[in-house]
Parts: sequence; C-alpha cells; structure tokens
Amino acid sequence: MFNPEQMTRVLIAAPRTQMEPVIRELYRQNLLHVEEFVEQGSEEYEGFRIGTPLPQANEISGKLVQLRGITSAFLIRKEDITPKEKHRQSKLTGLIEEELPSIEKEAEELISRRGQLDTRIREFEQKVESLQPFAGVPFDLELLRGYRMFSVFCGHVAREPVLDLPHEIFSPSGRKEKFIVLLARNQDRSAVEEALVNAQFQAVAVPDENGPAATRIGYYESQIMALKGEMEEINRKLEEIKKNHAEFFLACDELLSADVEMAEAPLRFATTGEAFIVEGWVPSDRMDEFRNGIHYATGGKVFVTEVEPSHERDVAPTEYDNISFAKPTQLLMDVYSRPRYSEVDPTLLVSIIFPIFFGIILGDVGYGAILLALSLGLRKVLTNEEGIQLLKILRNASISSIIFGLLFSEAFGFALPWKSILFSRHLNIGTEVSGHGPEVTSLMVMAIWIGVVQITLGRILGAVNHARQDHGVHRVKAVMANLGWIMVLWGILLMLWGSFAMPTMPDLSGMPAVAAGLNVPSIAGLAMIVAGVLFIASDSALEIVELPTILSHTLSYARLVGVGLSSVAIAMVINFIAIGMIIEPQLGALTPLGVIIIIAGAVVFVIGHLLNTVLGMLGGGLQSLRLQYVEFFTKFYKGGGKKYNPFGMKKRFTED
Amino acid sequence: MADAATAVATTEMTVEMIKASQIGMKAISAAIAVGSTGIATAFAEMAIGSAAVGATAENKDVFGLVLLLTVIPETIVIFGLVVSLLLLF
Repeated sequence: MFNPEQMTRVLIAAPRTQMEPVIRELYRQNLLHVEEFVEQGSEEYEGFRIGTPLPQANEISGKLVQLRGITSAFLIRKEDITPKEKHRQSKLTGLIEEELPSIEKEAEELISRRGQLDTRIREFEQKVESLQPFAGVPFDLELLRGYRMFSVFCGHVAREPVLDLPHEIFSPSGRKEKFIVLLARNQDRSAVEEALVNAQFQAVAVPDENGPAATRIGYYESQIMALKGEMEEINRKLEEIKKNHAEFFLACDELLSADVEMAEAPLRFATTGEAFIVEGWVPSDRMDEFRNGIHYATGGKVFVTEVEPSHERDVAPTEYDNISFAKPTQLLMDVYSRPRYSEVDPTLLVSIIFPIFFGIILGDVGYGAILLALSLGLRKVLTNEEGIQLLKILRNASISSIIFGLLFSEAFGFALPWKSILFSRHLNIGTEVSGHGPEVTSLMVMAIWIGVVQITLGRILGAVNHARQDHGVHRVKAVMANLGWIMVLWGILLMLWGSFAMPTMPDLSGMPAVAAGLNVPSIAGLAMIVAGVLFIASDSALEIVELPTILSHTLSYARLVGVGLSSVAIAMVINFIAIGMIIEPQLGALTPLGVIIIIAGAVVFVIGHLLNTVLGMLGGGLQSLRLQYVEFFTKFYKGGGKKYNPFGMKKRFTED
Repeated sequence: MADAATAVATTEMTVEMIKASQIGMKAISAAIAVGSTGIATAFAEMAIGSAAVGATAENKDVFGLVLLLTVIPETIVIFGLVVSLLLLF
C-alpha cells in the first residue's frame, strides 16, 4: 500500500532457435519490463552483441508505414473509435495479405485523384481571378495585344488620366474601382505613362485568352463546378471507405505494430552466435505465471532464473500498488514525479489529505454540490483515462467540501440553520450581521496544527526512506537529521507554549520560571532545538541554512484559512450586492421596472457564484496540491522512478 | 493614554472618535498588507508565468507542473491576507 509493486529481476537464457517463441510469449504475457542490453564491455557480458531484428521486420515495417499513411489521410484516430468487436488475429493476418492491399490501393488512387482535382480547381480559380478586372470589357481579349504601332495600358486608376494626345480610352462603368483600357501611339508612350502615374495607375496584365473576358469566366466557372462535383463524389467514396473500414484499419495497425515491436525486440537483447539473453523485471507475485508461460511455450528449452539485483546498478521500475480509492491520485503523483522503487509511496496519504485540505478551503455545501454535479456530469465528456482520474479526484474533493460546508454551516455564503460546528467563518458582510463574526485566530491556529502534524509526518517518512535507501554511517546520520528537524519544530512549539497562551494550544505559560526567566517547558524546548540543530548539522552543515523553512513552511498552512476566508468573503459580497442592494429594495413596491431589476439581480447572483465556484476550485485545488508538493513532499520524497512498462500491448481491436 | 488625554483636551476629540480612527487605521493597515503583497506576488508570477507559457508551448506535458510553479509566489499574498485578517478580527 505504501510501497510500489514488488519486482523480481529475471534473466532468460535461450538458444537462438527459441528466439521467436520466447518473444511471442513475452509479448502475449505483457509482464516483463525489459532492461535494454547496452554494449559497454562489462565482464559477464563479454562476447555478447546487441541482437539484429527478425528477418520479417523490414517487410512488416513497410506495410505499417503504408497503412499509417492511409489512416492519417483519413484522420482516423484510435481514441475516437470504440471497437465493436475484436478481430481474431489469425483471420486478420489473412485479411492483411488479401484485402488490405486492394482497399489501400483504392484509397490511394482516390486520394491522389483528389489531389489532382484540387490542383486543377486552384489553377482555374487563378485564371478567373486574373480575368475578373476585364469582366466589364465587351471586346475580345486578343484585341488588347499584339500591336506594333500602339501600346495598350490596362489597369486601375484613382481618377481619370488627363491626356492631350491622340488616344482611345475605355472604362467599363458601374464598378467601384475604376478600371481603364487605354490605347496610344508608341511615340507618345512616355507622356502617357507620366499621365498615368499622376492618376495613380496600377497595371493589370492582359490574360492570355481569346474572346470576351465574361465568356471565359463563365467557361472556367462551369469547369470548376464540374470538378467540384467530381471531388465531392470522391470525398463521398472516401468517407464510405472510412466508415466501413476504420475499425479494420485500426485492427490491422494494432496487429502490425505488435509484429513490428516483436520483430525489433532482439535489438534489446544480448546475443552471441548461438544464444541470447534477456534481462528484466517481473512483478514478484506473477513470477510463477511468467515462468510457467515461458516453459510451456518453448517446451522447457529455455532457462529462466531470478537474479539478485545489485544496489548500484539495477534500478527496478515502479508500478503503483494502491487500493482502488487511492488510484486516481496516482495522476497527481505522476505530475510531480513517480516514486522510486525503494521509496515510500505516499499516494494513499495524498488521496486522503488532498480532499480534506480542499474541503477546509472550499467548505461550502452549495459550491461542493455544484462541483459534485460537475464531476459526475463530465464523465460522459472526458472519457480518456486521465480525465476520468481527474474527475474522481474532483468528486472526492467536492464530497469533502460538502462535509466541511456542513461543519462550517455554509451554503453559497449563507449560514445554514445551525451554528458552525467547527470554528465560524462568517464574515458579517453587508446587512446580514449574525453571530459573532469569524474566529480568525482559532482558525489560524487550527491550520498551523494541521501543518505541524503533516510536516512531522513528512519528516518521519523521510527517516523511513533514509533508513531504507542509505547504508553505513550516512544512514544513521540521515535518520537522526530527520529526527532533528522534528525536534526543532516541536522545540519551538514547546517554547511558544511556555511563553504565551494561545487558543486550541496547550497553555504552559503559567508555570513558574526556573532559570533566566524561562520556565520548564521553555527550557525543554530550547534543549530540543539545540539538540535538533546538532543532529541536522552532523549530517550536513549546509542544511542549517534551511532552518527558517521550519517557520515558513508551517505558517504556509495558514493558506488553508486565508484562501478559504477570501472565498467566503467573495460569496458574501455577491449575496449582498445581488440580494441586499439590487433585489430587496425592489420587493417593497413592485413595479414593471422593478421586476427587470430583480431579474438583473438574479443574473448577478448566478454569474457571481459561478465565478466564485471556478475560483474556489482553482484556489482550493492548486493551494492544497501545492501544500502536498512543496511543504509535504520536500521532507521525504524524491521521485524520479522509472515507469514499469512491460513488453507487450493492451489489445483493443484484436484478440488471439 | 496620556497622549490620548491631551489630544482630547486640545482638539476636543471624544473617546468614540479616537476609537473610530483606530479602527480606520487598522483598516488602512490591512489594506496595505494585502495590496502591497498582492503587487509583490504579481511581479513574481509575471516572470514565472511567461516562462511557464513558453515551457508549455515546447512541451504540453509540463502544464500541470508549471501551473503549480506559477502559484508558488501566492504564499506572499496569502501571508499578507493572513496578517490583515488578524488585524481586522
């Protein structure tokens, strides 16, 4: 529960002739986390080489690449499709040989034809665009080019050019931009050009077409229409292929990927001319299953043995081993870092503490109910694994929020009909003054208590981790240092108790002073601090610099109350604005305008509380998560474990 | 108390007025505590936030982590909030 799944290091040695059955069986079992063989000249692996892929690897890879090309052109994604039935592998292998190539060929032809059509359409569209300015010119386009004595100018102008030379000008009327066609003698060319520059002339090339522009445009547009019709037909055919064969494609993809992975597996093995060796990790409680499977598949021709892992070299992969309640929290752990194999796995602790902190921050029945409804309702939308985990975390957090809402006697910032069972958080904002206001000091001390307890727990776990992971003198020192941190923390507390009376903390300030104005608890506290500092320094003197974090980390838990109170304050302000300031004054004498104002008040109420729910969820979630990551984990948790990634695949579309 | 007495004598302030002005001073102190720490947090989060967006653009997987890094300076404003709450209540 507090440890990852126990792993056993195994070694498989077999003759090369058994390579394929061994790979097939390993893949089917999906149990062995293969440790890749690296040629680094270690003694026991002298003469071993990295293996070469099985002979069929190239062919299968080729098929897979072709298939992936098609599936990506069809935009088929594994996540979007839920398999209706599983395809039998033996049948599928035959289909890959017979049917797949013809479907692929058909699809490829359609796709390439679609590409050609697309190019044609674009070509014609460009032509239409170049013809467009001449649409209003009634004469044939070939009349605008090919003169020896004359120059033709076509283009847009800002205003009519002023010319006192012999020329002919035509400008089609009724268009927004002024377009002209101008004919002049060659010898007047420079003068005409100057006049055109003054008229802000922008030349347009005469398209290489015959006949009137409008006719040509009509022709091209009808061509485009026809091409688009053909393209639609192709798209319809492709869509049909996609609909009929998407699942088949994915099943083939799954089978071929598995084959490729199997064919390339020898790249991770150590091989000689006649034999090969695989090393890896198997969950200890499934060792028998593993051993028997291999034995059965190879007829006992393969040697499987457990190896004692060496501490320096062999690092086991980590697979969580949690009860189902704590499983969703693994997501939060992976965001930080997966625990190392030898480390305490705090997932269960976080799965209990995180919702509690969330509830303390957002202790409100109303908001809790909204979030609970949200977490249940979104299940239909977020169907991937991470999304479901996140929703389960949110569900637990919102249930805790409802419970703390009952304890704090709060719903949408209003008081419930009983006094708060925990300390009151009512801020008395606006007209709704009831009770004695918030018990801020008591709430703060409660938060500090929570901090002290969690930090102490963290340090105890730190001692456990060091006791497990370290060796020799360092181990004792590291454990003592963790004890030292606890002593300094509680020493400070003892001194405070001996000096001041505080709510919900033991009051020892009444005891008589013994020496130097300090009473017994204060002296005991001082002694603990000194001893603690010595323990810490004996492990690492640099750690002394970190001593102030005892204060800052403990006080950091005040956020449980601070963020919570700010959320209560916003809720109460919304209530006061919406009800006290907008709705209530209208209720005395109802007028038609008053009804509209009341509706506006209701809108303010709903939007305000929705906004505060989102803020509360972000604030409550992030702040309590941060308390785990920064204040709790830094005391004991390193992380950086390897993920247990067994050789094999979870089959979704195929079966044996 | 002596100062308060002279104040009453010279400017004819009543005890109620002094109390009211003390409440006002508390409110101003609380406002300064929250306001200034809020600005400090904003400055810190500005730098972290822009780096976080950059990192997320490079690799979407770090989103959860950088979101958390971004709220780390929130401690500053929360301390300010705690101080002001203690001042007011």
